[in-house]
Amino acid sequence: MVNFMLLAPEITVVATGLIILLIGVFMSPRTKNVLGYLASLGVLAALVLTIQSFGTVALMFYDTVSIDGLSQFFKLVFLAVALIVSVASIKYNENSDHTEEFYTLVLFATFGMMVVASANDLILLFCAFELASLATFALAGFEKQNAKSLEGAMKYFVIGAVSSALMLFGISFVYGATGTTSIPAIAENAAFLAQSPIGIVAVVLLIAGFGFKMALVPFHMWAPDTYQGSPSVVSSLLAAGSKKMGFVAAFRVFILALPALQVDWQFAFAILAVVTMTFGNVVAVSQTSVKRMLAYSSLAQAGYIAMAFVVMTPMALTGGIFYTLAHAFMKGGAFIATATVVWMITTQRTGNLDVPDHLDSFRGLGKTMPLAALSMTVFVFALAGIPQTAGFMAKLVLFSSAIEAGMAWLAVIAVLNSALSLFYYARLVRYMYFLPPEGKKIGMPFPYAASLLIAVAGVLIMGFWPEPFLQWAMDAAQVLI
Amino acid sequence: MIPLSFYLGLSALLFSIGLYGVMTHKNGIRIIMCIELMLNSANLNLVAFSSYTNTLDGQVFAMFSIALAAAEAAVGFAIFMAIYRMHDKINLDELNILRW
Repeated sequence: MVNFMLLAPEITVVATGLIILLIGVFMSPRTKNVLGYLASLGVLAALVLTIQSFGTVALMFYDTVSIDGLSQFFKLVFLAVALIVSVASIKYNENSDHTEEFYTLVLFATFGMMVVASANDLILLFCAFELASLATFALAGFEKQNAKSLEGAMKYFVIGAVSSALMLFGISFVYGATGTTSIPAIAENAAFLAQSPIGIVAVVLLIAGFGFKMALVPFHMWAPDTYQGSPSVVSSLLAAGSKKMGFVAAFRVFILALPALQVDWQFAFAILAVVTMTFGNVVAVSQTSVKRMLAYSSLAQAGYIAMAFVVMTPMALTGGIFYTLAHAFMKGGAFIATATVVWMITTQRTGNLDVPDHLDSFRGLGKTMPLAALSMTVFVFALAGIPQTAGFMAKLVLFSSAIEAGMAWLAVIAVLNSALSLFYYARLVRYMYFLPPEGKKIGMPFPYAASLLIAVAGVLIMGFWPEPFLQWAMDAAQVLI
Repeated sequence: MIPLSFYLGLSALLFSIGLYGVMTHKNGIRIIMCIELMLNSANLNLVAFSSYTNTLDGQVFAMFSIALAAAEAAVGFAIFMAIYRMHDKINLDELNILRW
């Protein structure tokens, strides 16, 4: 007998999405704002249900769905991002004709990510991965009249589709060598895979497939363009949510299904992690578009998280998993703060309208929109790893685990990169507080303010009171060992 | 019975043709066709392995992936339609506003 209560978060998210799609058809554009509140409530309910079910362990549907510490933790990450995004989108979708489609796509993408987190079978993992990808392709191109949004969506679609083809090709070899698609059964039958060259081919194809989603260099080409081109609220979902889906899929497939090939993928991830964090930070320094800068900094952060695959001690995995939640709040919030500035520029009709997220738009933001400036400061300092923020705790655990495991070189590279990243984060803060403003003080729209406050609260709570989160991350890491 | 390696060789060839096409072609429709070629070569692999390992999982997987490929093409064409309405063509190499 299947206990459907364990799937309550997923069911809530899908049901909310379907209800919104259905009733949105009969509503006039002016009343459609209600849908945003409905979506946020649904996500909030799912978030509460997920937190309640922490500690449950179960296998369902012929062992294809696994409810464990890892799946619950990542569901928390995805739902937190979905909450930040759907609250902020209330303002973004104001007076839009397509509100219901937007929220349905966001909720379905979240659902796909949640299923990837608990997938215990490659068929389910691939289907859920595609569900989340297809929904985000459509979201990236949501502004149909905006050439940048379409260009970002086109690049995301072409590269995303190629990556899923690579992934499917890799999965087909894993299936061929082991005769099964179930993740625990693959781990048992992996002896043949480890001996034959098929194993190496499969690992390369799978790393390429997941690497596109995780935006590891050299599979990152789409990420800066798509994050810059898409509407800022969607960039927030992509950078904070969709990227984590790549990580949880890689955790499940490489660590749980292919431990027999650990030497191969560990080596590959070591190179990818170092190249990704260095490239991301170096290129971010020269960016003038803030969204693009955040995109490159997001690459760098993915490089830090990928260190978990290299070090592979329980502490490193705890750090990597904790980092995903911290990064969800920091990066999700930073993109929402950018969305606020873009809204300010486009409604005030002042400044650089071609590139509304240009660094110059942040001039004197501390005077014109104090709340947005303050929360942006919290996010960028957290991303840089200033103490008493979520980013600091995450980096502390992850980097010290590398030293403990005898990989001091990796920790040194990571710390040097963090120091470099402080340069472009501090430059943004300088623009916001030390340069004179161009306009007058502007009232913050409530949805943006609420969304920023949720993200700031997440960053600060994880910084000042990390114990429960570390405990949950430890439970999640326990599944992988 | 045809040996397994023939199927694997054919699918590897199709996959390579698809990947080459994605990288060299400029027209959106051709790129989608090449992506379909890559996905179908993976399906061929799955079905061949399914027959040779005497398990059914591969055939079921192929069914799912055919359906997903159709959905993917639908989303892709929708994006290309929107691009066509704006630029009157879908030459993807001419879309280059976003760059560093």
